[in-house]
Amino acid sequence: MGSRFGVRKIVVTGALGAVVVALSLTQLGYIPWISGASLSVLQVPVIIGAVIEGPVVGILVGAIFGATSMVQAVINPAKGPIDVFFVNPFISVLPRLLIGLLAWLAFRLFRGRLRPAAAAAAGIVGSLTNTVFVLGALVLAGAIPASVAGAVLVANGLVEAGVAAILTAAIVAAWGGVEGRRGKARLADEES
Amino acid sequence: MKDLEFFRNISIGQYSSGDSLLHRLTPATKYLWLFALSIPGAVGGISGVAMVLLLALCAGRGAGIRPAFLLRGVKPALPFFVLAAFLQFLFGWPGDHSAALFTLGPLSATAREAAAVGMAVARTVALMVLLGVFTSITSEGEIAHGVEDLLDPLARLGLPVHRLALVVSATFRFIPVIAGELESIVKAQASRGADFGTGKGGPFARARAYLPLIVPVTVRALERAEVLAEAMEARCYTGKDRTRWVVYPKVRGEDAIRALALVFCAAAFAVDALLR
Repeated sequence: MGSRFGVRKIVVTGALGAVVVALSLTQLGYIPWISGASLSVLQVPVIIGAVIEGPVVGILVGAIFGATSMVQAVINPAKGPIDVFFVNPFISVLPRLLIGLLAWLAFRLFRGRLRPAAAAAAGIVGSLTNTVFVLGALVLAGAIPASVAGAVLVANGLVEAGVAAILTAAIVAAWGGVEGRRGKARLADEES
Repeated sequence: MKDLEFFRNISIGQYSSGDSLLHRLTPATKYLWLFALSIPGAVGGISGVAMVLLLALCAGRGAGIRPAFLLRGVKPALPFFVLAAFLQFLFGWPGDHSAALFTLGPLSATAREAAAVGMAVARTVALMVLLGVFTSITSEGEIAHGVEDLLDPLARLGLPVHRLALVVSATFRFIPVIAGELESIVKAQASRGADFGTGKGGPFARARAYLPLIVPVTVRALERAEVLAEAMEARCYTGKDRTRWVVYPKVRGEDAIRALALVFCAAAFAVDALLR
């Protein structure tokens, strides 16, 4: 891991982690939707990290996402009905570590083909990972009954996955254009 | 939109400076206690959770933080606890044959459901107070340095500890920058008639309204990361070795305090097992 986790990945992790924190603190990461429920797009930077820099970056940005939602539950609670339960790291942090890993696997599976399409697949898988495992952890913790979790999965999770797919594809396409124009940092592939 | 100016001086955490024994502990010790207490708090039984809550409240007292401040998150959460209980009682658990406590129309509370709700609330309150104390006595710098110090022993096993610590520092370093980017992008879009927050239309129409916000902010973040990585590499920085010169002096008996954290964690589970 030592040589593969170079300066470039460290800095990209920090930058994407900061995007998650900033979107969360300013509430801009939540798209208001029907009846007060909101769609979260905070998982998108996690998926982006996994797609462009690999699973380690994805998992670490996921950890920052989890820690942010844990601290937010304490400092700024009462945003939504179940937010308080996110003080439990087994609900807020653990499931988020899986987002990057599974999104990266999905991206690898479809790589080779059209890059934005593979990114969209990673967006769907990553977003559903977030929804399914967080809801699963909430059910296990006794916060919500399983039938409610199922309803949320259908009502919120599927739409969130679609939104994440659009955003991920758009960002990867935009970044691909920028990267092609300018090229990676010259020493990025050198052994440190 | 009135919060726009707020973005620039965004603050995370709720550090309140002080000179209590708890404030003067090294960051690694603070982390150690946080983890040692949050494990029984998150997975332990009711007596373990009660021990964690009590100790966290006492620690807050010792650090000069009012219990009312730590518990301020509980009051707005009360309706949600009630809602959680309501949902649990409305939907039965499959295979739940415990005695019904009361029945009210479609609501029926069984002993098992009541215990589940009670535990979820107790856990949440205990962890809320615990994290509240931790974030009150640990500054941003200590949060980054503590990761490095706590994981230091693992560096010998080949884990890139200094790089992980650098990730935390880089995140803190980038937060005001990204918040500034968000501010200028939101203002630019708003001046062109964009409306975040109250948009109408279906979910996909709204998601499309967020495209011109999320896409540039992420791409700008990646560009900045690229520039920073290049600058660091040009200066031959590899993140391999320790490059930090801040030293946190240990308070008297710090090692004993660290050992106590592990003892407490084990004790919480032992008490749970005994009282079961």
